[in-house]
Amino acid sequence: MPESATGVALNTIEVRFTGGMLALNRLLMTLQNKRMPVAGFTLGGDSDGMRATILLDCPPEPALRYTALISALEDVSEAGPAKTIEVALVETSQDWREPAERSGVEAHEDGGTVLASGEPEKVEAFLAALGGGVEDVVRLGPVARPDAGGGV
Amino acid sequence: MGQTVENTALNIEYKPRTGSEAMCEALLDEGVEYLFGYPGGAIMPFYHALPDYPLKHILTRHEQAAAHAADGYARATGGVGVCVATSGPGATNLVTGLATAQMDSVPLVAITGQVGRPAMGKDSFQETNVMGMTLPFTKHSFLVEDPDELYPAMRRAFEIARSGRPGPVLVDVPKDVQLAATGDNGYRRLREAPPPVESPGLERAAMLLRNAKRPLILAGHGVTLGSAEKELRLLAERTGIPVVTTLLGISAFPDDHPLYLGWPGMHGQASVNRAIDRSDLLFAVGMRFDDRITGAAHKFAPRAKIIHIDVDPSELGKVIKPTVGIAADAKAAMRSILGHLDNAPDSGEGCKQWREELATSQEPERRRKESARGEYGPIQVMEAIKSVAGPDLRLVTDVGQHQMWAAQFFEFTKANSHITSGGLGTMGFALPAAMGVAFAYPEDPVWVIAGDGGIQMNIQELATIRDFGLNIKVAVLNNGYLGMVRQWQQFFHNRRYSETPITGPDYEQLSASYGLAGRTVRDGDDVEAAVRWAEEQEGCTILDFHIDPEANVYPMIPSGMSVNEMIEEDGA
Repeated sequence: MPESATGVALNTIEVRFTGGMLALNRLLMTLQNKRMPVAGFTLGGDSDGMRATILLDCPPEPALRYTALISALEDVSEAGPAKTIEVALVETSQDWREPAERSGVEAHEDGGTVLASGEPEKVEAFLAALGGGVEDVVRLGPVARPDAGGGV
Repeated sequence: MGQTVENTALNIEYKPRTGSEAMCEALLDEGVEYLFGYPGGAIMPFYHALPDYPLKHILTRHEQAAAHAADGYARATGGVGVCVATSGPGATNLVTGLATAQMDSVPLVAITGQVGRPAMGKDSFQETNVMGMTLPFTKHSFLVEDPDELYPAMRRAFEIARSGRPGPVLVDVPKDVQLAATGDNGYRRLREAPPPVESPGLERAAMLLRNAKRPLILAGHGVTLGSAEKELRLLAERTGIPVVTTLLGISAFPDDHPLYLGWPGMHGQASVNRAIDRSDLLFAVGMRFDDRITGAAHKFAPRAKIIHIDVDPSELGKVIKPTVGIAADAKAAMRSILGHLDNAPDSGEGCKQWREELATSQEPERRRKESARGEYGPIQVMEAIKSVAGPDLRLVTDVGQHQMWAAQFFEFTKANSHITSGGLGTMGFALPAAMGVAFAYPEDPVWVIAGDGGIQMNIQELATIRDFGLNIKVAVLNNGYLGMVRQWQQFFHNRRYSETPITGPDYEQLSASYGLAGRTVRDGDDVEAAVRWAEEQEGCTILDFHIDPEANVYPMIPSGMSVNEMIEEDGA
């Protein structure tokens, strides 16, 4: 489970809803009104409606309560836990393919920068495996795992 | 379109209709009898259609009052209250009423007119984004832009308002949609919330109830909303466990029952607060651990395991982490627990000693009440009203000191006979809410108890009350102050009574100007005779009780503190 800036594990929930902007407005208002500790928010859409992926900076128990609250909204068809990924942009002169394979991250090289992505703990393991071979690293995330429909 | 539709339930034939007619039809199909509202430009098509339908519209004198009246009607009947307003200021005036209903989980449907679709988003005359404005305190809202969606949206609004945890739903209808021709009803029922299933939590709750030595049942508004008064009583009597209630739970359990202790919280009985402090098990049902109950939440019921039952799963663990949390309707959950208890020996004897301890702990309060009984003041007023009006009385209180005195000293023996604004604490609630109660139960005596601050916030409704001949009796506890704020200033701001002294009208003359009867009552007057006089008058009557300006509500647990910091009397 990824760790937040406050040291509390982040919990990710995915919310599927219909009703367009009015429903989105209600969802955002609920997040604000109930003071949910939102650490990230990604919005996507497909033919079934909209999909918001929300990172909550709180332990699992309140995250479950917040999920119950969100799922009670009339526009929401589904709300539940979702997976996150972390992306690392790594500069290294050593072999990265074998550590990537061992850690279970997706990785490729583009213009001398290795782009590695996967579940946060796997990315962590990948970077640890590279050890002192890492010359520079930029870490993005955790972010919601992209799914059909893409983010906006 | 083009065919005649028959409403078989009411045997009324409808012709193909406009949006407004579809709205009226939906109201009829939902069994609505009363609507409380105020017309205006953007809702005129609806008001044009209204007289053609057997719906009774109550013209209030302010939209806020319409919302409170619908709220009072809903609280009294257990059904859905309906209020109507126009766009812009009409809609904004509803806001306090919607927030009041949301906080206390009261099912309301608020219908607002909106400017026509072509005018929307252009800062048109009397245009407001009422849907956006009310998002935080509506359970759901509709802005109906497709005339064919109007009837289904209206029906869905009712279903959402009353399902699960009840709440207010807004239906905002542009003026041109009200005028447009509509198609078939096309209404599909929403998915119903599944009934509570047998859960291991219920069995565990039953086991905890059996084994506890110092248990308490803490019953909230959810018991009344879920019509679970009978199950509550059965559970208490089956287990012998004493019952306390939240402010909104008052009258969910009869005050004169030997197992009833009272209510806890900031102004609850000291003995009840101490009982919670000492209890080893708190069976909390249909309540949400409001901060006025818990004070410092981390010090609340420190020795108790907590069973928390609420229909809204997001309430479980919000304030107090339960030992057993059960998301279920109060009635179904208690029925199931009773079923589990049937297989066990009676545990009533198990907490006999606890009940005796509690009875002893209440003695000083009983003695204090006895000694105060002879003094002119709130206790005398409450007792006189109860004694004269009788057991069928429904009491509607406003917000402030008088609200606490009524809750403390009035004995509620009839289910759902105490109606007040709890969560939002809305001054001005009582008079219009009492109208809703009086329409719901025209045969029952209805009394309003209000302060001299709150009564002036919606006093214009005396005209509505007079027009409909409502037999509402009003007791104003007049201390010349915004009393509760003054009390806080006395305790926590070194008696700096900043802007709390308040004047008001001569209530006798005010009553007369509305064509009503009114009387002033002062120290030395016969309180019971005055109440009897009010009861004998036809229609609404106002009694203006001039009471001690610096009378305080005791006990008091200062905000955010615990039972150990309770102030019990003057100088304490």
